[in-house]
Amino acid sequence: MNPSLSQRLDLLARNVLPAMLGVFLVLLSTIPFYIPGYGPMAANLVLMAVFYWAVHRPDLLSPFTVFLIGLLQDILVGMPPGMNAFVLLLVRTIAVSQGRVFRGRSFIILWWGFGMVAMASAFVVWGLSAVYVFSLIDPLPGLFQAGVTTALFPFLAGLFTWMQVKLLSQV
Amino acid sequence: MKPRSGSSVLRLALPIKVLIQRFAFLFLILAAFALMLLSKAETSAIEKVSSVVVDIFAPLMDGLSQPAAAISDGVHAVRQLANIHAENDRLRRENARLLAWQEASRRLMAQNQALMALLDYKPDPRAKYIAARVIGDSGGAFVRSMLINAGSRDGLVKGQAAMTGQGLAGRVIAVGLRSARILLITDINSRVPVIVQSSRDRAILAGDNSRLPRLAFLPSNAFVNSGDIIVTSGHGGIFPAGLPVGRVSKSDDGTVRVNPFVQFEKLEFVRVIDYVSVSPETSEKSGPEAAALE
Repeated sequence: MNPSLSQRLDLLARNVLPAMLGVFLVLLSTIPFYIPGYGPMAANLVLMAVFYWAVHRPDLLSPFTVFLIGLLQDILVGMPPGMNAFVLLLVRTIAVSQGRVFRGRSFIILWWGFGMVAMASAFVVWGLSAVYVFSLIDPLPGLFQAGVTTALFPFLAGLFTWMQVKLLSQV
Repeated sequence: MKPRSGSSVLRLALPIKVLIQRFAFLFLILAAFALMLLSKAETSAIEKVSSVVVDIFAPLMDGLSQPAAAISDGVHAVRQLANIHAENDRLRRENARLLAWQEASRRLMAQNQALMALLDYKPDPRAKYIAARVIGDSGGAFVRSMLINAGSRDGLVKGQAAMTGQGLAGRVIAVGLRSARILLITDINSRVPVIVQSSRDRAILAGDNSRLPRLAFLPSNAFVNSGDIIVTSGHGGIFPAGLPVGRVSKSDDGTVRVNPFVQFEKLEFVRVIDYVSVSPETSEKSGPEAAALE
């Protein structure tokens, strides 16, 4: 029995949910909020999404999708194109390979793992940026951003878990 | 026999699938690095594609940023309401002071015009302004730039200065059809020729991603004080001369830094100065001048 068109469309919508969410978070993290000091240290929402979905549903977030999301972030933020794409690919690979460590365990372990990944990716972005502009730049804003991102991870992860349970449980 | 052949196909397909995935990952990593290198080499194709992508997403970002702007305006209005009396008082006093200045300025303007007529002086061409809304704030820790909702169809060209009511914010570095990117004067890639308004000493305002850009290449005999006003020098011919930039703020380590007049976190609108297209003779003149400067 073939599924009806509406069923197939429904399935498609659910399948592309993490990717669409990634694009939405890229846009959300680039619009101005007019809060003093917010811009440079705004939480990296996209990093949270890629890490979460790569741990829980890597099948719905292919390396190619992650690459495109990273590239979009680079272009909209004004970073060298390819930098975030590279970092997010690394994050996805680490998250997928360590998925068993995180899945089904206490949330604290996932949080701790994300903190490590966020810190490491901040260093990678800092290193690449320094090489790109060919001068030593202050790593502090990046580390601060990683701190803010880690601190806010539980809220976004809660939202992602809700989506996973409510919308993706049958996919 | 059939199931066996099926399973052997499966047995063969699985490693191939893994191989393709591995290969894809490597390919994507290489692509990321290739893109970074190409953009470092300032390849125009990369710039064009980036502009098109930004153009596609600009209306979405414009829409998304409206509620944030509305909330920010609301908070601002409530805050203003709280000290409306004190503000009113301050404005009254300022108004009285400004009226005196207006009188002085009228007198000076008349005198200036008379002197200019006497000297047959050619004034700077009038610049045209293009107003735009900020739709994208930089979310990167190591870049200071923003996106605005005006592009080439509004007359924007690379290199134009972006101002607020307070002073110079940055310059246009990439232009799409309906969007453009402004590199802020605080970005590590930003270099603006400036002068100290009182002493007329030349220098280069060099951003380093911090809130206070450095004043580089200041002559060794230059004498600058904290609080001195820094304005654009107009060297290079892209920026008009005399745009207010900020005040000198000396730091403890002896480097001279500038506190910009623009409050970047509150930037909602910018005015882009169309200086080059209005004054063809200036832009022609700027060529050899700019070369001589370098």
